[in-house]
Amino acid sequence: MRKSWASHRPRLLATLLAVLALAMVPAGAVRSQDKKPIVIAVPVGLSGVNSVVAPAVVQSGELAVEEINAKGGVLGRKLQLVPLDDESGPAGAVKAFNTAIRQHKADTIITMETSAARNAGAPIAERAKTLFIYTSFYEGRACGKNLFINAWVPEQVVPPLIKFMTDEKKVKKWFAVGSDYAFGRGMIEAAKSTIKGAGGTILGEEYQPLQQSDWTAIISKIRAANPDGIIYSTSGGGPNIDFMKQFKAAGLTMPVGSLSIDELTAEAGGNAAEGVYYTGDYFTGLDNPENKKFLDAMKKKFGANLKTPNSLSEPEYDGIYAYAMAVEKAGTTDVDKLLQVLPMIVFKGPRGQVRMNKQHHAPLPVYLAQVQADGKTKVLKSFGLVDPGNQCPNLK
Amino acid sequence: MFTTQLLDVVTTAGVLYIVALGLLIVYGVLKIINLAHGAFLAVGAYAGVVTTGLGWNPWTALLLAFVIGVALAALVEWRVLRRLYARPLDTILATWGLNIIVVQLITLYFGREIRFAESAIGRAVSVGGATYSEYRMVLLLLAVILGVAVWLVTQRTQIGIVARAVIMNEELAQALGINTRLVRFMTFCLGAGLAALAGALLTPLISVHPNLGVPWLINAFMLVLVAGVSLANLALAALVLGGAQVLVSSYGNPVLGSLTIVILAVVILRFRTITI
Repeated sequence: MRKSWASHRPRLLATLLAVLALAMVPAGAVRSQDKKPIVIAVPVGLSGVNSVVAPAVVQSGELAVEEINAKGGVLGRKLQLVPLDDESGPAGAVKAFNTAIRQHKADTIITMETSAARNAGAPIAERAKTLFIYTSFYEGRACGKNLFINAWVPEQVVPPLIKFMTDEKKVKKWFAVGSDYAFGRGMIEAAKSTIKGAGGTILGEEYQPLQQSDWTAIISKIRAANPDGIIYSTSGGGPNIDFMKQFKAAGLTMPVGSLSIDELTAEAGGNAAEGVYYTGDYFTGLDNPENKKFLDAMKKKFGANLKTPNSLSEPEYDGIYAYAMAVEKAGTTDVDKLLQVLPMIVFKGPRGQVRMNKQHHAPLPVYLAQVQADGKTKVLKSFGLVDPGNQCPNLK
Repeated sequence: MFTTQLLDVVTTAGVLYIVALGLLIVYGVLKIINLAHGAFLAVGAYAGVVTTGLGWNPWTALLLAFVIGVALAALVEWRVLRRLYARPLDTILATWGLNIIVVQLITLYFGREIRFAESAIGRAVSVGGATYSEYRMVLLLLAVILGVAVWLVTQRTQIGIVARAVIMNEELAQALGINTRLVRFMTFCLGAGLAALAGALLTPLISVHPNLGVPWLINAFMLVLVAGVSLANLALAALVLGGAQVLVSSYGNPVLGSLTIVILAVVILRFRTITI
């Protein structure tokens, strides 16, 4: 038995090889005509705290890639999107960045992540000389030679909101409320310095632990202090609605400015956040042709599966366009050339004009919005392009 | 200011009491801590999401929550829990596993994002010269009603007497011909039903998402540890621990306040000499 098998083996092998060779002919022929795609990796929080928003980020990326490929791609090469799960944290980000760079040979990483994940991933991209475009708003001052950021930092959204409430709503005496974590406290710090600069006073400042959803004690303190207005920054999503529900139920009526609410959360809260003012660079209600085209294309592409685009997901679309335009202009995907070209690229997208020319950050169009009685957000006015300030003085 | 703080203390105690009641009942009769309590809270809260989606009156969510809670508990007790009563440690694993399963099922169907549940009451009323949340006053009232109702059941009904017999000495009760298996079954269903009811009652205060039960489970757990199996002790514990939390948050800050329940529970357990 053994012998007879062995005697057959050479013929079997030869047959296999012949089949394989035949199978590879057409594939090889196509390969040689078609150029290798440009790989864009998107490590994003498909699981963990960011899993609510991550699918919308991937959808924005898919639309950008589809549109660019439909027009023939970049330098005759197609774009290829590779979404990866960073588990919303640093450990997952390390895995995802390494997979992107080593396994998928990513030409660039364009993504929205938590700050912890970004801090873990950025050095990996830096060492591998891979361009990293970060598309999430964040606390500011993340700097790297290969790191570009096309979303807002506190300097761009906090002062316009405070100024509006000071000038239009006559808020002089403030009460500041935050969730007890880095971003919540950072946003309140930024708000406090703007309030002081505008001649306002802060009657009280309170922080709530992340796990705690009962705001009773803080609301009683607000009532006792009797401020003209509130500025608050909880963690994203639910806590905004917890706070606003209890604030309203307590019969408090002073104007409220939020540094943490977003369109989806406001809408899920129904009438809970009615009247809340907030600022941002992207709202679905932005009235410009680019946004209309973007939203129509998203609806057409994803239909019932569409995740509502939002300020965390839309910049992914802009980021991929900016990258594609930079590659086209540079004529290469070589990172050193791209670093020269990228700050010159102006992409007019759904948010308006975005150009990452300020120390690797972007002056952004900032808008004021207010939550309506049905939870929908209405854009009230535009502040024009707002500068990110000095984020990375060592970079151009 | 004083009136407001007094109201803060008593209404916080009321909310804690409502949330912990189901956990205490299960602990009393079954001698197990139902770690799926938080999941049952979430189930109740999503009953509010469902009734809102169907356009029903917000109050119907309470009934729906209770019914779903009882039905789910019946299934779990019948298929899983009753096989584990001889292995108390394993019930902790089983109920925690149940917690994970239920939360994941909710996530699969409703998603992780927050959902909207209509509130019946969102107004403020004037109480003793202070403007205060009407809903919190309603919750306080409901806590008292629930407390009295459960107390009446345990003191004045056949099932209550049987349940108390099981609490005091299960072997003896069994020897006297009491169907302890049925008592356990009904108690677990009632406890889970009350947890789901509490979840539905929380929705006007908090946003609805799959993990909403976790922080409440921790507080309820502490209260039950301190209170043992007595309803009166639970009310007292809710008042003392909840009150301390409010006062520390008011005069100190909420970060310290959130630690108060845990620290106080540990201190009380250390010095509590009478076991109930």
